[in-house]
Amino acid sequence: MEREAEHMANTVIGSSIVIDGEISGEEDLVVQGTVKGKISLKESLFVEGSGIVEADIQTQNVEVAGKVTGNINASQKVELKSDCRVVGDIRAPRILIADGASFKGNVDMDAKGR
Amino acid sequence: MAQSEQVGIIGKGIVIKGNLTGGGDLVIEGRVEGQIALKNHLTIESTGNVQADIEADELTINGEASGNIDASSKVAINASAKVAGDIKAPRVVIEDGAVFNGSIEMEVKLPEDV
Repeated sequence: MEREAEHMANTVIGSSIVIDGEISGEEDLVVQGTVKGKISLKESLFVEGSGIVEADIQTQNVEVAGKVTGNINASQKVELKSDCRVVGDIRAPRILIADGASFKGNVDMDAKGR
Repeated sequence: MAQSEQVGIIGKGIVIKGNLTGGGDLVIEGRVEGQIALKNHLTIESTGNVQADIEADELTINGEASGNIDASSKVAINASAKVAGDIKAPRVVIEDGAVFNGSIEMEVKLPEDV
């Protein structure tokens, strides 16, 4: 399902695009480029292999295959894929870290809902 | 290097506040406030609303844009567009039905020996 969402995503920040500022919205966002600042979404954020995010992130789901520096706050799930590099604190009810991922920061899984 | 596949899309539900720079093509269906500087083609779709100074090679507007526009090759304002601001470009096309308020400066290349 996640895969499909990735393909259907409306918004793609291409690999040569740099955004410095604030992104907010109500749909999936795929980052292949660079985003600095702040991201707040009601849906999912996908940071692909070429993506670099230096921002505080507030979303429902986050999937990281690229580089993220900043705090991540997800209402559902955070998935760190192998080869990703993440520095920052993660707060989410479900957190997955794949073998090969590099991560530095605190993890806070809310106990509620379990 | 910037292949045509490097297209960025800002979807309908997305709001960006800040600076947006890059080398690839970009399609805006959502909202952007701030500043845009692109090396290639920027398209503002009919659902798009851009309140920003825009720098691009080529610009196609189907939606709303306010701010100063500086294009190195062409600006096309289509029938459904509403544009406010000053435009500077060698070629400017305004379709019948488009709303435009502002000034236009087309650089007329004078021969060097004049």
